[in-house]
Amino acid sequence: MSRETDANTRWQESAATLGERSAYKRVWDRQAQDSEVAALAVAGHNDEATLDLTARQFIDTLRATTGLGPADVILEIGCGIGRVGKVLSQECHHWFGADISGAMLRHAARRLQGRPNASLVELATVGLQEFPRDAFDLVYCTIVFMHLFEWDRYRYVEEAFRVLRPGGRCYFDNFPLDSKHGWEVFTASASYPLERRPAHLSMSSTREELGIYLRKAGFVDVEVRDLPNELIAATGTKPA
Amino acid sequence: MGRLPELSSADPSSEARIAALQAELAAVKQRDAAFRTHMIQEFLDRGERNTYVHVLHEERAALRRREQESFADLELLVRKLEGAQARAAAAENALARLQGSLAWRLTAPLRSLRPAWGGGPAPAAAAPAVAAGVFTYYLHTSPFRIFREPRFTLRGWAWPEDGRPVTAVRVAVGSQTFIGRHGLPEPEVVARYGEQPRNPRPGFEVTFDTPPGEHPFSLEAQLGGEEWRWILRTTIWAEPRP
Repeated sequence: MSRETDANTRWQESAATLGERSAYKRVWDRQAQDSEVAALAVAGHNDEATLDLTARQFIDTLRATTGLGPADVILEIGCGIGRVGKVLSQECHHWFGADISGAMLRHAARRLQGRPNASLVELATVGLQEFPRDAFDLVYCTIVFMHLFEWDRYRYVEEAFRVLRPGGRCYFDNFPLDSKHGWEVFTASASYPLERRPAHLSMSSTREELGIYLRKAGFVDVEVRDLPNELIAATGTKPA
Repeated sequence: MGRLPELSSADPSSEARIAALQAELAAVKQRDAAFRTHMIQEFLDRGERNTYVHVLHEERAALRRREQESFADLELLVRKLEGAQARAAAAENALARLQGSLAWRLTAPLRSLRPAWGGGPAPAAAAPAVAAGVFTYYLHTSPFRIFREPRFTLRGWAWPEDGRPVTAVRVAVGSQTFIGRHGLPEPEVVARYGEQPRNPRPGFEVTFDTPPGEHPFSLEAQLGGEEWRWILRTTIWAEPRP
């Protein structure tokens, strides 16, 4: 049995049932029992080179959609093990990673050692109550919405609006049902026995849904794009 | 603010000035970013809003509020008990004065003749409708409080010392009676005291109304499907929050 298969098995065993989906802290703390399982849970792979590669690909996406600058103060919602932050912190003034799982953040802290411009914050609950208003240039949330109920997705969009400075930008993504990958995820999820559906099971968004969240929260210049990796991403700006 | 001079990128001196302004703008952006980063970190540190510590502080504050409210209620409860004791003492004094009076002594022969008048025996002191029982019990939610809400749920466990099964549980508040649920599992109690053969699930809960005012209160259990015995009797006071 390979090391990854081993972690895969442990990851499956760590999963709680769908009824617990809202208990995000417990659900994700359980999946962060060790670094390999944690990486699988948040990124789907756990070798460091692939983690860095996918982080760079995402940063390219950010650069192309919201723009990135060396003076940006950035917040990632649901940073998990700090996959993106490890690379992105080299390209901005300061990177803050927030996650509801303290156990995930312990892995992130190890991976971000020696980066003085990276900070990690454990969220007490859904929302960004830990952060002041009008503080960030960019707030993004990637590969997270699929694990949240719709109400909680919107809560983070609202909160992003609050903590962004006027003129600040936001980015949120998810997978759509009408892509090849999205349908594969959907049918794979549908194959779980009803009573064993894991709490973190991925659930899609529509373009309309993401656009509505951003507009309702107050963002302007809202755009929803189809990305080459078959995700859909909504971006917007807090009015200056 | 003065108007900026128009700059043309075709002019070498303008190019230098554009570059200088861009560098200055970048420096300003960096200073602004440093300020906001510092502000965020101060916010995180000062408010202790970061991590689990914040949650614990919130819980501690809530517990302190509850503790203060409980102390205030306890003080009120003590005053009410003192008031009730004073009223009882005054009533006893009045009775003693009455029994020591000339009129009481003069009418004593008449009172002794009363059975012969066909009036039957003098009524006994109001006997309780339910007799006392001897129970091992514990209440998870104490009734010794000032009742602030219109309803209250009393939870606990009980079994009679004589080993009979508890077949119902009720609470009497004044003239009103409220039947509760019994036979609720209490695994920790069983683990501690051992299995009670006829009361394997000794837990109960009774929800009752607490109308404003002072009321006699009685927690009672029916034993073996027959007689009722009281577990606890006291006086309660209900005072909705102003």
